[in-house]
Amino acid sequence: MRNKIILLAIIPLAIIIFISSCGEENIKYQRYYSDGSQLYKIHCQNCHMSNGEGLGQLIPPLTDSIFLRKNREKLVCYVNYGLNDSIKINGIDYQGQMPAEKHLAAIDLAKTLTFITNSFGNNQGIYDVIEVQKNLNNCK
Amino acid sequence: MKRYIPQFCAVVLLMIASCSSEPKKLPILGNREPFEKDLNGKKVMDTIYQKIPDFSFMDQDSVIINNDSLANKIYVADFFFTSCPSICPIMSKHMLQIYNKYHGNPNVALLSHTIDPKHDTIPVLKKYAEKLGVKDNQWHFLLGNRDTVYQLAKTGYMSFAAQDSTVPGGITHSGYMILVDSKRHIRGAYDGTDEGQVKQLMSDMDILLAEEKAKKNEK
Ligand code: HEC
Repeated sequence: MRNKIILLAIIPLAIIIFISSCGEENIKYQRYYSDGSQLYKIHCQNCHMSNGEGLGQLIPPLTDSIFLRKNREKLVCYVNYGLNDSIKINGIDYQGQMPAEKHLAAIDLAKTLTFITNSFGNNQGIYDVIEVQKNLNNCK
Repeated sequence: MKRYIPQFCAVVLLMIASCSSEPKKLPILGNREPFEKDLNGKKVMDTIYQKIPDFSFMDQDSVIINNDSLANKIYVADFFFTSCPSICPIMSKHMLQIYNKYHGNPNVALLSHTIDPKHDTIPVLKKYAEKLGVKDNQWHFLLGNRDTVYQLAKTGYMSFAAQDSTVPGGITHSGYMILVDSKRHIRGAYDGTDEGQVKQLMSDMDILLAEEKAKKNEK
């Protein structure tokens, strides 16, 4: 009987904690995303365009969600150190050059990447600072 | 009351019709100078409008483009360079929209002058055009001596603009798209980075094309 009462008290408590922390995560995500959309406008939109579609065969689109998912760890390297490889997006080869964005702080990188990995048909959830820092250390 | 509805409609229709019978005309921009001319022995005043100066540049197909090759055409001109990270991609995107709308129209040309001739050689321009999806000779990516291009911008295309040396690249890199008629007069200047302005440019091109057509029919 005692056990049952404790259980009955714990379950709602657990649910409340779960919901509130979930809400906090969600608020953090929303903040990242909306700040990220501003950062995108300033630092990326000139090239990748407002709808993420890029430009002809000069600038790749950010709409290839398979590419973005497969290269999730490397995205922060691309932005921070620039990209000069030949890459294939949606079946098209791109040989352009993306300049390095070395002046973006880790938190801004996180927000920008949260924005692009959840826009233009992508849906990967938050890309937070801890992940940014970890992936930055692994850039070649 | 209901009886008057047809009359009312008729009046509105008439008003609309009378409006549209007077086609909108684009202004002529740039400096102008009044001068006296002789008309059948009488002295009358007339105006000389500023013209785009003579030029001769080579395009991505190594074809010389000058005022003769643009005779009877209206054209849109802008300035760019292929390795430009800031406003050029968005301007190229908007030029591409214009290109797609007027594709195949023999009365329309597009000119993009590079301001980085050292890097943007003919093969570089050719590759840039191809990657944008430009396959014919309606949109010319023009290579010329840097000083000549700057001079053309200053005394020709941008003479109406304030000289702004604080912007990197100055006036040549300010994002203007310039609309020029077949008489080499400047008929409009637009912010090529702004979607709404580019829409305006395209509707102004339609107005200018109609004007040019009417003039041809007069002759
Ligand atoms: C000067 C133009 C330019 C700017 C500004 C720019 N990029 Fe890029 N971006 C490119 C080009 C060109 C490539 C392809 C590089 C290659 O072929 O190696 C690219 C590739 C990418 C890729 C990998 C390929 C793809 O399409 O998924 C990502 C992700 C990316 N950019 C994100 C960004 C983000 C985020 C920003 C803003 C912080 C940004 N870029 C700013 C030009 C640019």
